[in-house]
Amino acid sequence: MLLQQILNGITQGGTYALVALGYTLIFGVLEIINMAHGELFMIGAMVGWALVTLFGWSLVPALLGGMVGAALLGVVLEFTALRPLRRQGGTNLSPLISTIGLGMVVQNLMVRATNGQPLSFRVPLSEGVIRLGPLQMTTAQLVVLSVSIFLMVALQWTLSRTRLGRAVRAVSENPETAALLGVNVSAVILATVMLAAALGGAAGVLVGLSFVSVSATMGLPYGLKGLAVIILGGLGNVKGAVAGGLIIGVLEALTVAYGGAGYKDAVAFGFLFLMLLLRPQGLFGISAAAVRRS
Amino acid sequence: MLRRMASKVALLLVSAMILAACGGAAPSSENAGGTTDAPAASQGSAPASGGDSGGGQSQDPIKVGAVFILSGPSSGYGISQRAGVELAVADINAAGGINGRELQVIFEDSQGSGDEAITAVRKLIDRDEVVAIIGPTLSTEMFSAGPVANDSGVPILGVSTTVPGITDIGEYVFRNSLPEAKVIPHTVARSVEKFGIKRAAVLYAHDDDVSRSGADIFKAELAKNGVEIVEEATFSVKDTEFGPQVTKVMAANPDAFFISTLYNSAALLMVQARQAGYTGHFIGGNGFNSPALIEVGKDAVEGAVVGSPWFAARSDAKVEKFVADHTAKMGKGPDQFAAQAYDGMMLIAEAIRAAGSTDRDAVRDALAAIRDYEGVTGRFSFDENRDPVMTPFILQIKDGKYVELD
Amino acid sequence: MAVLLNNYYLQVATFVGVNALLGLSVYLVLSTGQLTLGNAGFMALGAYTAALLATKAGAPVWITLPAAALVPAIVAIPLGYASLRLRGVYLAIATLGFTETVRVLFQNWEFAGGALGIKNIPSLGRMVQNGLKAAGITPPAGLSHAQLANLVVMLFVLLVLGLALAFVYRQAAGRVGRAYAAIRIDEIAAEAMGINITYYKVLAFVQGAVLAGLAGGLVAHINFSVSPAEFAFSRAVEMLTLVVVGGSTTPLGPVLGAALLIGLSEGLRDFSLFGARLSDYRLILYGFLLMVVVALRPQGLLTFAPRRKGARA
Repeated sequence: MLLQQILNGITQGGTYALVALGYTLIFGVLEIINMAHGELFMIGAMVGWALVTLFGWSLVPALLGGMVGAALLGVVLEFTALRPLRRQGGTNLSPLISTIGLGMVVQNLMVRATNGQPLSFRVPLSEGVIRLGPLQMTTAQLVVLSVSIFLMVALQWTLSRTRLGRAVRAVSENPETAALLGVNVSAVILATVMLAAALGGAAGVLVGLSFVSVSATMGLPYGLKGLAVIILGGLGNVKGAVAGGLIIGVLEALTVAYGGAGYKDAVAFGFLFLMLLLRPQGLFGISAAAVRRS
Repeated sequence: MLRRMASKVALLLVSAMILAACGGAAPSSENAGGTTDAPAASQGSAPASGGDSGGGQSQDPIKVGAVFILSGPSSGYGISQRAGVELAVADINAAGGINGRELQVIFEDSQGSGDEAITAVRKLIDRDEVVAIIGPTLSTEMFSAGPVANDSGVPILGVSTTVPGITDIGEYVFRNSLPEAKVIPHTVARSVEKFGIKRAAVLYAHDDDVSRSGADIFKAELAKNGVEIVEEATFSVKDTEFGPQVTKVMAANPDAFFISTLYNSAALLMVQARQAGYTGHFIGGNGFNSPALIEVGKDAVEGAVVGSPWFAARSDAKVEKFVADHTAKMGKGPDQFAAQAYDGMMLIAEAIRAAGSTDRDAVRDALAAIRDYEGVTGRFSFDENRDPVMTPFILQIKDGKYVELD
Repeated sequence: MAVLLNNYYLQVATFVGVNALLGLSVYLVLSTGQLTLGNAGFMALGAYTAALLATKAGAPVWITLPAAALVPAIVAIPLGYASLRLRGVYLAIATLGFTETVRVLFQNWEFAGGALGIKNIPSLGRMVQNGLKAAGITPPAGLSHAQLANLVVMLFVLLVLGLALAFVYRQAAGRVGRAYAAIRIDEIAAEAMGINITYYKVLAFVQGAVLAGLAGGLVAHINFSVSPAEFAFSRAVEMLTLVVVGGSTTPLGPVLGAALLIGLSEGLRDFSLFGARLSDYRLILYGFLLMVVVALRPQGLLTFAPRRKGARA
């Protein structure tokens, strides 16, 4: 029973981790929180839904399609909400507000398009249960978990082994130095935003798949939780995002099982407070001083 | 610099006020300020008590207001309700209007917020001078806007507000939406008897007013019917993942899940329960009343039982026409929200017809006197508290459709 | 006269006043360079304090309103201290977490009505109306009792707003205001100059909480009911929008923001363009407005301060 709850939590946590990775990538490169990330997640889910339901695609192509759709929205994000503000040289609060605005626009456009109704998202894969001893997982949960893990590993590999990855890390470290070393900072930023969006979009498709529905407002809870996760794990830290996601997922599952679902949402934020009070750099962050200086 | 700024500010403020003031007819002098007192005549202003509102001459259209959630996350309900009202207006006007006058409905968006509901109601009353108001969508909105309408002597009819205490707001507050408290006892009694339920689990959304009070009523009724409640679980109405709850509840081995939440979480909960291997019965509250439940839940919701004021497959001429018209207009069948909104508009039209005038008090009295009106949701009367008197249908999902439970 | 003092206009003006107060509360904290999304939570605390005292304990308005301002202030002190070490986005997220936590707590608190909230709160409008009738006062100029009552309530709210504005202006010109400005411009330099940044940052936080709580108390007594859904993330974003759009460098900014946004919202009610009701697209317009203002005029529409390159809004 306890193990089952933990398993449920890990699966859910996998999706939180994917969402958090998107935040973390953008923070690393731009030092801002993209408040429209929940909408990137949602658009990925919507594109995936459209591909499966309207065009009859199967899961993997639809997943890729969702990622591409989200990445395209990421391009829009970069050019409308982020780049114009960088030229102006303001604080990192302006992009925060600007991304809130874009999020509102995207979310409400989708609400109008769907008339506020959730859409049923059925992929033939969704049925079926796998039993491993006393535990069980639905096929959907298995797919979600494995794709999440695959994407996380792929991301880590990209960051450490490819030229793009090195460029991203360089820009995260210090944009000016990276530019001096010949890195096309603007292009790297755009690529990072697209990558982050793609991850968010993938998470959206996976969530839509496992929970058989997508809606225009599905991004909000994941967006908020994602924030709590990255603070827990440490802003800009990939391992932290993953660990944080899993921890929050498991804690939520346990809260529901033993404490009362009413407080589930408060769990993530409760932990957030604790972290900010005791260790603002998160579990894996560099140092508290870095936080104070930001 | 300062002067330039100051004039810009002035310009902006003025334009803000102009924006707020324009976009609609200015109030007619006939009703300037005289329409907001409760029955007693107001001093020194045009017509007394209530006044002939919604147009003075007999050629002018009769104006009724409707406040629904038309934007934002919960707009699904409001949009459904608007469709229901629009169909009713079309039907009424096609039949010659009300006492020869055209019926006109002015829709306002309350966005799910008490502030907005109040502002919308005030606009309808004080600027548009409507005879009566339909809505708002949520019970919480009604608790804010209902007193405003009541104090202004304007009849207000809730078509989706089902929690206790709505009509206690005042003499001008009505509802045709059957409260859970009147549906659930029937649902529980019938299903316990039919399925021989001895052990039950109650699952509900803790953060939705309707769902929570529905759960309380389920628990009380189950106890009355001698059923043991072996487990309870809660979740958020917006949740889409119920692994922990399903695991916890199934461990207690109940004969049936009694589920009180809105249709999306309900459908997903049932899907995941079936996926986890649960083979018992599903009994639901008001939230099950939507074709979307079947769309989202597909096979998992087969056999689920719910009590409902609205049964779309009823063989009745009015129902069939309504379903056909709605499908033509919206591309899908009407849900409970559309149906109750349709009947709500019809009830108000009936009251205006019976009152023979647009005097708000006369309309209020006529509304309260309605007995045995045959609407698309069945035979309807108001009781002495302006609450609905109706027998719900007990439905079961068979082959992907709602049929009456035999 | 009676035409202009239509109950609808009075209601809108009253809400503009309340929202201006909320915007001002965010502005205060922002003037020390701290971006807070927590004032929605303080507003909730104020609203519920007033509602609970009024409905459960029968307390009169002259107790519930001050209490509505006081309770959030008390909560703001430890919260302010805890947030001291946080900057920029960290603070924004932490305060957002606070708002969400407050909402969840009220949603689960049965005594406070849970998800349904509290209803039948004594309303200021009714109180004034009954008072007028009891005192045998005849409304002048063809107004009805209700209109006069609503007028009085609106004036009361505007009075509270006016007092708050006066306070903020006076403070801005004095020692506290200069300390806030110094902290906003360069915290480390300010500290080096001997300004006790801990004290002033917490003070700003508390002042913001007081205003937001007071606004919440007013809302409780105007709206007849309060529920947790009114004080969620969207409310926090709304309050922020008022300041960002209206002007974040002067106290009149949020006032303009409130007038403009509510005016826009009301003005859109009856407009249709190509068969689409514009008011259905209101939230989309707000989002665009946020993006455009932040990109083109980051300090907001109204500003009296000279623009300095690199100066924080």
